[in-house]
Amino acid sequence: MYRLILIVSIIFLTGCEKDDICPESTQTTPRLVITFYDIDNTQERKNVESLAVYAVRDNELVLIEDISGITTDSIAIPLRNDIGVSNFKFIKNYSVENDVMFGDSNHIYIDYEINDVFISRACGFIANYSITTLLNYDLMADPPITGWITGYEIINSTVTNENQSHVKILH
Amino acid sequence: MLKYYISIILAFNFFINSFSQTEADSISIKNKFGLRAGVDLSKLLNSAFNDDYEGFEVSADLRILKNIYISAEIGTEKKIISNDYLNTEAKGNYLKAGGDYNMYTNWLGMDNLIYSGFRIGFSNFSQTINSYTIYDVNNQPWGQATYYNPIVSDNLNALWMEFIVGIKTQVLNNLFLGFNIQLKNLISDKTKNNIDNIYIPGFNRTYDSSSLGSGFSYSISYLVPIIKK
Repeated sequence: MYRLILIVSIIFLTGCEKDDICPESTQTTPRLVITFYDIDNTQERKNVESLAVYAVRDNELVLIEDISGITTDSIAIPLRNDIGVSNFKFIKNYSVENDVMFGDSNHIYIDYEINDVFISRACGFIANYSITTLLNYDLMADPPITGWITGYEIINSTVTNENQSHVKILH
Repeated sequence: MLKYYISIILAFNFFINSFSQTEADSISIKNKFGLRAGVDLSKLLNSAFNDDYEGFEVSADLRILKNIYISAEIGTEKKIISNDYLNTEAKGNYLKAGGDYNMYTNWLGMDNLIYSGFRIGFSNFSQTINSYTIYDVNNQPWGQATYYNPIVSDNLNALWMEFIVGIKTQVLNNLFLGFNIQLKNLISDKTKNNIDNIYIPGFNRTYDSSSLGSGFSYSISYLVPIIKK
């Protein structure tokens, strides 16, 4: 009898609490994948030299840490989850000297719908997005100023994973 | 209502007395057969000391054979579960019914149980996501986003089975203290809004990785003897 109680107790106590910690392997909220193409040959990928991306949060610039002066033809940027609008500054030929930032800046405005999807009891919800508008200038600026980004195209408006490009930027 | 119960108990007493009078010169000691009713003390204590829990359960068993009891529990529970990403509240009622088998051989005149049992459980409940924080490991530039608009899923239900082991000890005449542990396996549950049921009243918390669950109860119960044989 006591052996039976012991066995049942062991069944209870093992394999229980791991479900309360969100495992790192869990699919997280997808980022927006942007690929850069040549304006003169729109089928050709083209690197951006020393690219940095800042998020514009309440008139404050916050650097996205893994995109701070990299030369690349594709990036993935996180979108804001509390409201359906994100603003970014895309800066090429980026450098910082004595806390002063140098480079060619271009504003990116993205408007989207947020759809929260339940994942698990430990991780809760992730966000998926449906892109409605993308602009290469600041809506707040008058007159609108564009920079080095001369064209863009929304390839996949539904953002549920990072396996494909969502937005094509021409420069 | 109380008067009604008292008269039933008096009627039983009369019945039992009349039995013992007719067999006054018998020396053999009889087993008591009757209805035992009780409450779950652990749920009462948990309700008193935990802000995130309210629950009450009554249980009853009826001895039908020397070692076999028909058993049932009925209860209500409200439970708030909170972690880094979710704050949820489950609320509802449940019924469990099945039987117990007493594995303990009593000395003459004793009425203790070491038993194993089986139950089928059914719960009808609602689940509210009070708040949630979007799980986003890449939110470094934006910060965490938490939503406080509740997502209510009501008219949910669940069906499960339970394997129980426990003891019941007679501490005073006809008064029992009991403890049992329950291993549960969820058979089916209804969900809404594509959200898993985090807690099911009567079943307890659920697990992502399996349909198993567990529980325990600490009960006090009173045996109303109906017949002795």
